[in-house]
Amino acid sequence: MSLLSQAFRPVGSNRVDPMLVALWLALVVLALVWITPFIFIVFTALKSSDAVMNTSAFALPTEPDFGNFVSAWQRGNFSTTAFNGVIITFIKVPLGLFISAMAAYALAKVPMRFSKVFLALCVFGTMLPFQVMLAPIFKQVNAFGLINTYPGIILPYLAFGVPYQVFILHGFFAAVPKELSEAARIDGASHFTIFRRIFLPVSLPVLSALLILDFVATWNEFAMALVILQDPKMWTLPLGLMNFQSQFQSNYGELNAAIIMTVLPAAIVYLMFQRYFVAGLTTGAVKE
Amino acid sequence: MASVQISNVKKSYGAVEIMHGVDVPIGDGEFVILVGPSGCGKSTLLRMIAGLEVVTSGDISIDGKRVNDLEPKDRDIAMVFQNYALYPQMTVAQNMGFALEIAGRPKAEIKAEVEKAAEILSLTPLLARKPAQLSGGQRQRVAMGRAIVRNPKVFLFDEPLSNLDAKLRVKMRAEIKALHQRLGSTIVYVTHDQIEAMTMADKIVVMNAGRVEQIGTPLELYDRPANLFVATFMGSPAMNILPAKVTADGISIAGVATVPMPAGLSASGEVSYGLRPDHVTIGGQDAVSADVLVVEPTGSETHITATLGGHEIMIVSRDRVDIAPGSKLPVSLASEHAHLFDAVSGRRL
Repeated sequence: MSLLSQAFRPVGSNRVDPMLVALWLALVVLALVWITPFIFIVFTALKSSDAVMNTSAFALPTEPDFGNFVSAWQRGNFSTTAFNGVIITFIKVPLGLFISAMAAYALAKVPMRFSKVFLALCVFGTMLPFQVMLAPIFKQVNAFGLINTYPGIILPYLAFGVPYQVFILHGFFAAVPKELSEAARIDGASHFTIFRRIFLPVSLPVLSALLILDFVATWNEFAMALVILQDPKMWTLPLGLMNFQSQFQSNYGELNAAIIMTVLPAAIVYLMFQRYFVAGLTTGAVKE
Repeated sequence: MASVQISNVKKSYGAVEIMHGVDVPIGDGEFVILVGPSGCGKSTLLRMIAGLEVVTSGDISIDGKRVNDLEPKDRDIAMVFQNYALYPQMTVAQNMGFALEIAGRPKAEIKAEVEKAAEILSLTPLLARKPAQLSGGQRQRVAMGRAIVRNPKVFLFDEPLSNLDAKLRVKMRAEIKALHQRLGSTIVYVTHDQIEAMTMADKIVVMNAGRVEQIGTPLELYDRPANLFVATFMGSPAMNILPAKVTADGISIAGVATVPMPAGLSASGEVSYGLRPDHVTIGGQDAVSADVLVVEPTGSETHITATLGGHEIMIVSRDRVDIAPGSKLPVSLASEHAHLFDAVSGRRL
């Protein structure tokens, strides 16, 4: 039986299941919807300006031109924007996760008064869209004299990233049997040791999932970076993409080459951790 | 090894008092089992000894030292949990050596201690495995190994066999008892299974609704239960209790017969007449007729549920009894093994 015909049959059955056919069809259509712009971006990035204008958007680049990548790197000032992106993302993401994990552990496992109030405050934090806070944040960051600095962007990122992560991790930590931390307490472990030696290793799948989500979100963040990082020397990659569009000219080949270079690191991180990502999203869903 | 003294311990959650002044003396090297129905406070008491629950009032002392305000790690105890609570990402050896590692002992010493405990519990071939790769019984042994490695003054067991299947439970019961005999350590063990209590304990503490009902050796509790609760809780199948009245002729069991007063007992008025199922004899001179409801042959004995004068009774016979449900069975309730309890207070007479 061929692989294709197997896909339409339930395991152990010889009959084609119309439901499975419909599901596969839906999957293919959905995949096309997502892949189409991606194909457009890759094809366009490999075409010269002439070819972009004179051929169909989905025509194969007959003479692949990698010059777009070289010129985009220079025009987009990628050496600076990529460096800034790396600094901001590589500090913010691990730091935010560490703070969130510690807060979630304290809220879930350390008996204290008002822990429910703190948790409710955190949940409330996840409900605020940061777009409505852009103006107050700008004023605040400006008041601290942190406009155009790394702390000026990392601190608001932390403030908006931590509540969501605390909420997710709290749910996970709360589901870890209390006997595990009690056994460790009897064994002489402090709360920090319990957190580091028992809870962090146990929650690796969830932490990996959050790491991916946060990495991609931080790497690609545009609005807050636009408000706070006004000096082009401090720009991140998404801001650098603005260089490629102006009122009078658009070089689509360069723009798409720049887009590929911008999203590539996030895509690589996703592919590296996606194994954990899927495990993390379903952890605790069923009794093992 | 150490003694444990529990003096007038009370526990409240908010305004609700769930333990009403419990006194339990535990001698050096004793195997003491706290037994009682769900919600009687036995696990809470154990957790208070461990330091995992706050003592509302009263004192808990280990080896003569008051430990109420000490952290669990400073009480020199080890605890085995019902769900084992093994650290999932650590190997068996790491699980067992964790406490010593935290205490900052040298690696060579930790290795030696872990190997010694593994030897005692036949865990040596499993030392490199993770808990997920072990069976229930093996996990149970690792949990015990983790306790042994610490060489604590007191071992605490919280229903450690409840998650095992019946056959394994019997095996582990014997293993724990053998371990106690070998180590001679003080053990406080919580269970709701009175068979476990009877077979393993030096001393049993029967608890009910936050109070101690009786403390004694297994056979003391079985032979001389202090009240109706202990009488019906200890022993399986449970003791038959029949309402009765003391008259000049003896004890008149309501709707059944009058039986002679057992030797050495004296009572008057309304009483509860208690007779263990194996002391109800089939046949006999003064036998009365019971209606058989259910017959359960276990192989070694036969359990018969029957009604007698409107009361349901249980009869255990060592012989094979060939009788069908619905038929009549002559039984005799007269016995020198009968127990008498006050009908109102439930106290033994």
